[in-house]
Amino acid sequence: MKNMADKKNHDERLERLMNRLAESVLGLSDEAILAETSEAGADPQREAERTRLVLRQASKVLDNVNKHLSDLGHTVNSNDWYRGHSGYHNTCATCGSFVSFTTATGEMRGEALDGLCPESDQYTIRRREASR
Amino acid sequence: MARLLSFIDARPQFASPKSALLVENNDSLLIFLRTSLKHEGYAVRTAANREEGLRVYRDFAPFNVVLIDYYVPPSNGAKIDHWALPQTSGTALAKDIREMNPSQKMIIAAFDYQNAGQVPRPPELMHIPLLIDSTNFQLHRLLEKIEVERAIEALTPSDLLRLQKSADYRVQSLGRAARGRTGEDLLSEAQLRTLMGAGATREGRHWNKHVDFVWHLTGAMRSISSCWKRQFKDMEPYLISEFPIHDAEGHEHSPLDNVASGDAAADQLLIEKDEEDRVLTIFKDDTEATQVLQGWLDGLTKDEIMSKYGLKKQYVAVVKRILKLLGRGNGGSRG
Repeated sequence: MKNMADKKNHDERLERLMNRLAESVLGLSDEAILAETSEAGADPQREAERTRLVLRQASKVLDNVNKHLSDLGHTVNSNDWYRGHSGYHNTCATCGSFVSFTTATGEMRGEALDGLCPESDQYTIRRREASR
Repeated sequence: MARLLSFIDARPQFASPKSALLVENNDSLLIFLRTSLKHEGYAVRTAANREEGLRVYRDFAPFNVVLIDYYVPPSNGAKIDHWALPQTSGTALAKDIREMNPSQKMIIAAFDYQNAGQVPRPPELMHIPLLIDSTNFQLHRLLEKIEVERAIEALTPSDLLRLQKSADYRVQSLGRAARGRTGEDLLSEAQLRTLMGAGATREGRHWNKHVDFVWHLTGAMRSISSCWKRQFKDMEPYLISEFPIHDAEGHEHSPLDNVASGDAAADQLLIEKDEEDRVLTIFKDDTEATQVLQGWLDGLTKDEIMSKYGLKKQYVAVVKRILKLLGRGNGGSRG
């Protein structure tokens, strides 16, 4: 029991240390953060652009999921994504079929991907009522 | 903190008025969309057809967003036949603008369709988001997404490096609870939740535009990593090596010691203790750095550390030394 308590203590100490470092790094000046990256042997510009790509890629994952579902005629309410252990989940508001995707890879799963939404009228276009 | 505040103050803010070009020939939709855009903080210029839209764009571009109705006529007085023209002047205008400025953010309003899959578009316009839902909600979400993307492009190299390093440290703080995730995974998740929060979803994290975007993302990462930690504690079974057994003399044994496999006794506490020792060893000749690190490990605040060890102005310099040396020690590695 003593060791479990020690372990917990060590966990918490290390967690505190790393969290403080995570906060402190935000306070570094532009010059300091660029110099630090260079001194670590990395190209700051390249590292920075790689990080920008990570952010862009996350947007792309969500775009791809939404586009794919939309192309199949599914109506997925963007307000209804919920987070599970294996990613985000939702259901088509029209046919009720299930879909999920993982954040790391953007991989999609679920019956909604099996084909066109059976409840969606693919070829009907609603004419706008307002006069033109 | 002073450094953080000056860093935030020095960054370009988004207080400057946002501009939008609205190309719409239907009076009621024009009023609705213009009001919605104004409500979102945009200064709006309008045009009623492709020809006029192009002219206004040439005169006043770039805009933060260009919102084009799918069915706008080609020029003043021209009529649209909904059924005869699968590609309309709306998409033609979008193509014109794209040729002039490939990075121009646009939205095509296609209220006559039930979903985006039904809307005929040339392949080069497939990436342009469609406004199908004639309620404020979808427009709000699309505009928010454009704002987030704009904020990403506005991040400086130092912003991005700070974010990445902060993410790396945050994941390291998780220990086993990271479950193989890296700093990039954390950053990616923070971005995804920001996008989901654009529609104020229950799983998202709304970005308040009065908050610096770097600050927002670091806040999101803080809460996501806490969430991962909680989930791990709730769900993850402990490894058997985490339950050491002590004999009468106090010697430590693993429950696996007597298992026929003959595996060596599992190490105890090593991951955490080794990491702590590694960090402290790096600074063994730097008394002040060791004091700050000890303070952090003990959960002391900055003021408490400064008071306990008599550090005053040196504190900031010491923190810089720590970050510099640790960054070098990590060799720029991820996660």
